[in-house]
Amino acid sequence: MNADPVPLLRCRGVSKYFGALAAVKSLSFDVAAGEALGIGGPNGAGKTTLFEVISGLNPADEGSIELEGAAIERVAPATVCHRGIARTFQFNAGFDTLSVRENVLVSAHFGRRNRAWPGLAHDRATGELADRALELVGMTERAGHMVRDLPVFHRKLLMMASAMATEPRLLLMDEPVGGLNPGEIDRMMEIVLGLREQGVTIILIEHVMRFLVQLSDRVLIMHHGESIYEGSPRGLTRDARVIEVYLGEGMAKRLRDAMAGGDGGG
Amino acid sequence: MSGWKRDLPIGLVVLAALIAAPAFGLPRFWITTVTVFFIWATVVSQWNLVFGVAGIFSLAQMAIFAIGGYTTAMMGLYLEWSLWLALPVSGLLAVVFGAVVGLACLRLTGAYVALLTLAIAYILFLLIVTDTDCVYYEGTVCRSLTEGWKGLGRYGDYGFRDLFGRDFHLGNYGLALAVLTLATLFSFAIVRSPMGLAFRALRDNPGYAVSRGVSRFKYQLLVFALSAFFTGLAGSVYAGVFSVIGPNVLQLGLLLFLLSMMVVGGVGRPWGPLIGAALLMLVDETLKEEAFAGYRNIGLGLILAAVVVLLPQGLAGGIDNLARRLARRGGGAPGE
Repeated sequence: MNADPVPLLRCRGVSKYFGALAAVKSLSFDVAAGEALGIGGPNGAGKTTLFEVISGLNPADEGSIELEGAAIERVAPATVCHRGIARTFQFNAGFDTLSVRENVLVSAHFGRRNRAWPGLAHDRATGELADRALELVGMTERAGHMVRDLPVFHRKLLMMASAMATEPRLLLMDEPVGGLNPGEIDRMMEIVLGLREQGVTIILIEHVMRFLVQLSDRVLIMHHGESIYEGSPRGLTRDARVIEVYLGEGMAKRLRDAMAGGDGGG
Repeated sequence: MSGWKRDLPIGLVVLAALIAAPAFGLPRFWITTVTVFFIWATVVSQWNLVFGVAGIFSLAQMAIFAIGGYTTAMMGLYLEWSLWLALPVSGLLAVVFGAVVGLACLRLTGAYVALLTLAIAYILFLLIVTDTDCVYYEGTVCRSLTEGWKGLGRYGDYGFRDLFGRDFHLGNYGLALAVLTLATLFSFAIVRSPMGLAFRALRDNPGYAVSRGVSRFKYQLLVFALSAFFTGLAGSVYAGVFSVIGPNVLQLGLLLFLLSMMVVGGVGRPWGPLIGAALLMLVDETLKEEAFAGYRNIGLGLILAAVVVLLPQGLAGGIDNLARRLARRGGGAPGE
């Protein structure tokens, strides 16, 4: 997978402790540019904590994290964003009293680079970037709506638009389809496939296995903070340990059947 | 920004009316009262940036005001500077003080910011009232640096007495109005700039704002520092207008009176401070009359309670909602 000598993201021996509990335990993995890595695992496995650690909101206790060879494990979250890592949240984060467009403008203006002086007005390019991000998720018509009035699906879409408006090199998605209905999941899948075609590198956490398996080049399954599986989505459904702690026989079989029927290409 | 198209004409009309008012025979008493309104409205308009727009519950604003006022008084008294020179220095010193307060509050949120900033204001108050060490003697009279409870005086004024004779109050009126106008323009510009966006984003969801590239450290310091400048100028103008400044500006009653102005006007709304300050000053002056003796605080309290219950977004919020409803009924676009 790693043809490139320096991967986009390299994690080595990353650990995060909460008291005696190791939420993430000496985890090592690489993500190559253009790749999509799916992360799964039972609740409490440390998936979201891993995102907290990478995005700098809750720094790692041990280990190194490098973005294109530059260490970021001690970098402030705002700077991590400037370096090119954007993230969506499991809980539907947003600026509630700002309009949809203002939400995206925050990212477009402040998310791309450090602004020594924020200026008295944003430039045209920033406005256009915000508009493109809204278009990407199909929320142009709702640009003027107040965010606190949005339904869950639109909040998730807005979070995605807001992440993309920072022009990230690496997009971390935390349960992008959690709590959505099948139609909405399909819509989200189209959007993420579109991002993949644009060459955006993605790490996504998801419990909806059909979403995870179809969008990821590679899957990493976490359990008690450790990696118990790293490999192809196909191999996932045959791995005894993954079936035991996470999928269960029934789900593994359904996924195998879906993959066999879903794509003809071996 | 579409907001300017509505706000600039309104602002110009109000400004023209205020400039013309003395010429149309506004009595001297009211000119002085309106001058005080200008000063308080300036303070509240800047406080609104920290408290309303950035959502930081700072109560340090009158301490910053006092720094501005005392700086002007001391420069006039000890260095014999013209107050006009002391004016910008007071603003800048207030900025430094504001930034230090902002730094102290960096790791705190919510009510803890209110506690710390109130403590800072109270410490300043105590430092002044317990200041009894003689720095020099005037004959046999001991003079301390801040003159304690008595406050500082005899440092001169803005020179309007020499310029206008017995109409000097018009000079004060003009100066206070000029500072308020600039402060208001400044606060509108900040609210509508990317900086305002950063402040509001941090208010709504600090963790999320940070992960979108908005540095909390930088913008929290910035809002404290920026809002301190005109607050310091207001303190300086106050010192010049009253020719005396004492620790009474740091008392809780005044702080709460100004806080009420912001709440009544509409927290976080650009017009809120002006509307709230105007209304509460008017009510306060009315209730001072002999006929209402004893009802002053009750009256102000009732207004505050009524606004909190009936118009939680203040008068400015209420007016906005009303305008939006009328526009919708008239077939116009819903809102902005």
